[in-house]
Amino acid sequence: MKKRSSALLMVTLSAVLLSACSTGQGTATNDNGNTAAGGVTTIEFWAAPNPTQQAYWQEMAKAYQATNDKVKINVSAIKESPTSEASIQSAIAAKSAPTMSENINRGFAAQLSDSQALVPLDTLAGFSDVISSRSMTKTIEPWKFADGHQYVLPIYSNAMLFGWRLDTLKELGYDAPPKTYSEVLEVTKKLKAKYGDKKYLWAKPDLADPTAWKRWFDFYMLYDAASGGNKFIEGNSFTGDEKAGTEVLTFVDNLRKEKGILARQVTDPFENGTGIFTDVGPWTFTTWAQKYPNLKYNDTYTLSMPPVPDGIDPAQSKTFADTKGLVIYASATKAQQQAAVDFIKWVYSDAANDAKWFKETNLPPARDDLSTNEAFKPILDASPQLKPYAENVPNAVPPMDNAKYNDLQTIIGVEAFNKVVKGQIAPADGWAAMKAALEKALK
Amino acid sequence: MEQRNNKLGWLFTSPYLIYSVIFFFIPLIWTFFLSVTDWNLIKPTFNFVGISNFKEALQSPNVHAAFWNTYRFMLIFVPLVTALAVGVAVLVHGLHRFKGLFLIGFFLPYLSSGVVSALIVKGLLSYTSPINTALRGIGINVDWLGTPFTALFIVGLILAWKFTGYYALIITSGLESIDKEVYEAAAIDGVKDGQRFWRITLPLLYPSLYTTLILAFGVTFGIFTEVYQLTGGGPGNATNTWQMEIFKQAFSNLQSGYASAVALLASIATFISIYIIRKLLEVWGKRNGWV
Repeated sequence: MKKRSSALLMVTLSAVLLSACSTGQGTATNDNGNTAAGGVTTIEFWAAPNPTQQAYWQEMAKAYQATNDKVKINVSAIKESPTSEASIQSAIAAKSAPTMSENINRGFAAQLSDSQALVPLDTLAGFSDVISSRSMTKTIEPWKFADGHQYVLPIYSNAMLFGWRLDTLKELGYDAPPKTYSEVLEVTKKLKAKYGDKKYLWAKPDLADPTAWKRWFDFYMLYDAASGGNKFIEGNSFTGDEKAGTEVLTFVDNLRKEKGILARQVTDPFENGTGIFTDVGPWTFTTWAQKYPNLKYNDTYTLSMPPVPDGIDPAQSKTFADTKGLVIYASATKAQQQAAVDFIKWVYSDAANDAKWFKETNLPPARDDLSTNEAFKPILDASPQLKPYAENVPNAVPPMDNAKYNDLQTIIGVEAFNKVVKGQIAPADGWAAMKAALEKALK
Repeated sequence: MEQRNNKLGWLFTSPYLIYSVIFFFIPLIWTFFLSVTDWNLIKPTFNFVGISNFKEALQSPNVHAAFWNTYRFMLIFVPLVTALAVGVAVLVHGLHRFKGLFLIGFFLPYLSSGVVSALIVKGLLSYTSPINTALRGIGINVDWLGTPFTALFIVGLILAWKFTGYYALIITSGLESIDKEVYEAAAIDGVKDGQRFWRITLPLLYPSLYTTLILAFGVTFGIFTEVYQLTGGGPGNATNTWQMEIFKQAFSNLQSGYASAVALLASIATFISIYIIRKLLEVWGKRNGWV
């Protein structure tokens, strides 16, 4: 009796404690599993964890629901505990994944699709209509995964550009940024001759940091330009262009030899003028407007595509696409998946919705006609610094679609890029070591 | 009566027991299970892989680095924080007024966010910061976070700054519990001022020191925020820690099975190390006749 009452007490208290731990999220999803009474399909949409994007999707959902009373869309922000990727992983594991979510990069999508957690979007009725009505046939092409399917609908695509301190370039006798490696080296020599250790060409602590995603904003930008957009890793194969890769590493090594690189902790080096060359994404401009109002486009700074090796036409330069998109989860019911596609189709059937996105977020919509469609003209006229991003959306190469992308990109840094930056390995040896390590990891 | 007391005992201990079952015991069993699978928590199916996750972890240079770095942090952090905490406690103990106020002041860093302190240090160590600019002016040009030893030292220093106040609080309570008559008796017996600390204070402080030392050694097995924010485990693997490695594998690489194996190895390393350290501290105390 004593044992029984103690056990009963334990069970009761456990139940109370566990119910207190519940978020209710799972319940909501279970309710959504079926089309509810009255034929209304409820879909859960997880937006990026920032107020602007969340507000945009809430507005879109509200507008769509006004035209379709058979769908209810619950928009909420992805929790970042500890990261948005981890939250999605936990939600899938706990069987409380949403119907769809945005803010998914291609590498994470590869991890999810590898785990059969995503629906191949091209298998859903109406998806091809989204591509044609949004005018994104060319932009979405490199997004195709190695298995031939499209798992992500890119929402925005930042063709990453390099920023140049135009004020310093002018002091050195240049009116425009250099476009080839030898031109950049010439600028570096003049810069060091004039400023010594007060200014560097490329001042950025990330250059010596092996964290996987940091390679997107240095190695990949240069490599995409040098290789004409070679995929580097395709599926489970290393397909890197050795000539282009070695040229990139040699270029970085030459910059180091000229003392043009500062890979140490330094606060806002480009903004403060310690560095005169850095990767710049369009999200930067809002911060600059508030924190560094002295930075004016085509006055104190300018933007350009990555420099290319000598002998390559700079006009053909490619770059890395910092791009994120939308996915639909395999755990959603067929009705929810179809309702999700119909919602996306409605949103992207009108360029005005993309224009609204562009205006509110500064993130260029992933479409082929961004620089030609009249809907975007007022935005680009008001913010001319966004024009080069719009023009280069089709020249931007998305990240690899390998589920091991974190490991693989860490190898690029550890075996080659970081070491070359620090002068610890010769470029050709770095490339060879990196290639061997990547091939081993891909097995 | 005994039966009633028994029930009451269960009632009062049940919140902690339930908490432990839910947040320690079940996750521990779950970790054991995950560590022998290749599951990433997302895949609909998974395979039992036996001890291959453990074999892979034991051969991983990242895990080797995490293992050794823990002891490197120990060598920097434990002596530093102990010396600072004892120093602060002795100074505060000697005060006649505002003792509590000073102790609260020193305790505040313990409550501060590791993220914030790491970001402040990042700013202080920036290439263009006044400190570094002044140092370069006299010919000292140090890449603080890009050099293995200085990166380790900086992280150790932040941790020492954070924990000094907390440990000083424990040591102060130890100092407060030493009867003044002991010092008076010692003075009559001819103990000089310089000998007081080593001959009287330190032996009587042993229980408090033992607690703070065990806590300090334990901290080095759980370092994460400062390293994550400041160095990301670099340069190379110079500041990689167990927690960093588990985080990277579980949440960046989505290798839950492998991360669980690393977590279990970390637990084993922690348990054995703390056990040995505890025994050594006990031997130290016994040898000196403090316990």
